Amino acid sequence: MLLNKFIKLYLFIFSFIFSQSIYNAYGLGLSRTSFHSSVNGAGSVGLIPSFHPGVSMDNTATWPGLNFTYISGSYTNQAHAIKSSNINNQASRFNKFQFVIPIRERYALGLTVKPLNNNNSFFTTDTLAFNFEGTDILTSKEFRSGGGIMEASFGLAFPLNSRMGLGITINHLFGSSRNEQSVIINNIYYRMFNLRTYTGSTFDFDFAGLLFKDSSLSISTYARVGLTNKPVSGNLYNFNFYEDSNNSYSFDSDDYPGDLVVDTTSISNIYSPNSFSFGVNLAFKNSLNIFSEFQMLNDESTNDNYASIFNDKIGSKYHFGGGLIRFGNLNARAWQDQITFRLGAYRDNYSLINSRKSLIENGISIGFGFKFAASGNQIDFSYRNGSRLITDGQKELFKEITIGVSLGDMWFLRRRAKQ
Amino acid sequence: MYNNFKTFFIINLIAILFFSACDEAAIPIDTSKTPLSIDTISFPVVNTISYQVPPDVGSHEFLYFGKKNEFDFLYNLIRFSSIDSTNQQTFTDYNDSLIVADSMKLIMTFVLDSIDQNADFQLRYFPNSGDSVFNELSTNYTNFDYLNASSVISSSSLSIVNIDSVTSQVRLNFLMDTTIINVFSDTSVTSFNASFLVELKNKNASEFKFFSSNNLSSPPKLRIFYRSFLSDSVVLDTSFHTYYSSQDVSIIDKPYIGSEDTYNLSVGLAKGLRSLVLVDMEGWKLPEHSIVSSADLVYNKINNDTLIGYSVSSYPINNQADFSKFNIYDTDPYNIESNYLSSAPIIDNILKIDYRKILTDYGRGSKINYGFKIQSSQNSDPFKTVQFHNLNSNVTYPVLRVIYVTK
Repeated sequence: MLLNKFIKLYLFIFSFIFSQSIYNAYGLGLSRTSFHSSVNGAGSVGLIPSFHPGVSMDNTATWPGLNFTYISGSYTNQAHAIKSSNINNQASRFNKFQFVIPIRERYALGLTVKPLNNNNSFFTTDTLAFNFEGTDILTSKEFRSGGGIMEASFGLAFPLNSRMGLGITINHLFGSSRNEQSVIINNIYYRMFNLRTYTGSTFDFDFAGLLFKDSSLSISTYARVGLTNKPVSGNLYNFNFYEDSNNSYSFDSDDYPGDLVVDTTSISNIYSPNSFSFGVNLAFKNSLNIFSEFQMLNDESTNDNYASIFNDKIGSKYHFGGGLIRFGNLNARAWQDQITFRLGAYRDNYSLINSRKSLIENGISIGFGFKFAASGNQIDFSYRNGSRLITDGQKELFKEITIGVSLGDMWFLRRRAKQ
Repeated sequence: MYNNFKTFFIINLIAILFFSACDEAAIPIDTSKTPLSIDTISFPVVNTISYQVPPDVGSHEFLYFGKKNEFDFLYNLIRFSSIDSTNQQTFTDYNDSLIVADSMKLIMTFVLDSIDQNADFQLRYFPNSGDSVFNELSTNYTNFDYLNASSVISSSSLSIVNIDSVTSQVRLNFLMDTTIINVFSDTSVTSFNASFLVELKNKNASEFKFFSSNNLSSPPKLRIFYRSFLSDSVVLDTSFHTYYSSQDVSIIDKPYIGSEDTYNLSVGLAKGLRSLVLVDMEGWKLPEHSIVSSADLVYNKINNDTLIGYSVSSYPINNQADFSKFNIYDTDPYNIESNYLSSAPIIDNILKIDYRKILTDYGRGSKINYGFKIQSSQNSDPFKTVQFHNLNSNVTYPVLRVIYVTK
């Protein structure tokens, strides 16, 4: 009981903390490539097996390959640095929470909750000084934002034939984001606050197929088609400016004006992602896997009423990546042989809608997984390092450490018949 | 194994919590690429004028007698609360057969605790004036009829009263007999006026200054001494009920107005001087989702004498003003938007009044700009007249400077 309470408290506290990035301020922010720590370690988009031979926790079609039912959670610590400004930011967050049940090695179903994007940012401008008819004025601006879209998913996997499987995932998108824009005049803050709520839904169709297999090599392909069912819409609550006379960060009776007017606007079709992903995995007899992935995502939303101080947003994304994974053997005698090793490199190319600028993200990743106990419990560590650079913009370096814990248990699995 | 794992898991989570410090540094960006802007605008003052209304000293902390500088105080009017300090005893309660009111005393407290010079004061009241005699905020020499008062009912001069072994007060004590009490307790007039007129016997005496009802420590008091009977034969000791002044005002004779008062922008309570200012904001619109940071109308005082604690209040007026000449009015013809009160102290000979609240409504088109009225605040020295430069000044003419933040 104590453990359960602790986990709940822990997840609650850190579910809403995100690290800042310049690129979180472009529209809805960057869409994450990977969520589970095992996927992170391989630098993958989650198609190819990375958790267990034949299984990716981010690919529904592969879930029947799990030997146990899993409750899995991933937790990330991110650090961002702006090289030119010597700015460092760091924060931690919950990355994914998942419950997957394989059924008789042919079917599987699962529930997943994860933060789809991240609006967290904090910008400030230089202080400008000017004289207005004898009065000296010092002014600067601050922009803060946080929150984003969460995704709750229900996934179902079933076989097409003995070598191919299909997964269907229904995703409900929800959540809210906040942003505050401030002008500071002679140390007095004039704040404007916006609150946006989100709701929408998408479908993912995952595919996993074994193309070739002999004693030394097997070749499998994986694919995902992501479609928007109901584009993200919601409400925009736009609070008018107020003078934060006591700098309390919230509107209170000391502030001007005496009442705060809020305009409520319904916003529709602000995020409508459609994607196609494809991956190939070569599995050798010594448990070594070599993979390559490609992903193409396009946001076909038509409404640009989003929280962005840059008046721009991510319109499309291309991902290229590859790497190798060596799965550990739970039955091996030496503990070193029980460790799963992951290594990957990738390149994400984002395009901005209005400015048509490109944002390039290059990253490398490394990860380890360690199985323990007879029920297939697994703890995964991953480290990702990379850079983001926008045309005519600042270079951002990022580091990310993810820890995932997956606890296994036997549900709906074939059991040995009693003698 | 599970117990071991549970321990391992908890330790792991605590370790992550411990090492996952949150570091939030602001990322610097170029201000030109960001939304929100600060705009400034100056509006010219196009019309200014002063005018005079009767003296306005009803909210002052003191009551005056005699002569003070250029002001002649004719008399003082005092009204007492109809219920005593314990909130239990009204004047009509003395009609009870078990209570016998013996005498009544009106007490006024002098501001000094010693007597340099004494004078005779006399007291009148208003037995035939129904429920109301005056209003401290509007009664003045033009609208009060001295002849409504009775003949003199009591006289007094300053005397020292020892409050305790170390404290003494200088007071006026006007004693009254049961004749006056009977008028106060008469039930034929609902809510009798309970008012008195206090005056100097010799009108040419110099200044005498007493605490008014606006002074919480020593306001004028009315004491009614009485005996109460437990039965027809058992009498309790004599005691008294105290009634405090609810309104009072010093009536000032028509004050002298000089050319410096009429030529400049002048304000002063005792002289009844107020001024009007019209700012040209024609055609200006405050952008949507904007906030006015400041809208300061700056007035420059003419005399460089030091003023301490002198503040000026200002309101937008809601009718057309006459800027053609200095006028004298019996009542102020310019109605104000009291919700938009703005006041400021004079600091270093500059008065800076912030009009941002009304300016916001002007900018949004929800109010019409007829101009601003300025007048001395009620807590300022009522006998000090302050002059500001008007449009005739070459350099220090008033101007409205606005800073606002827009989306």
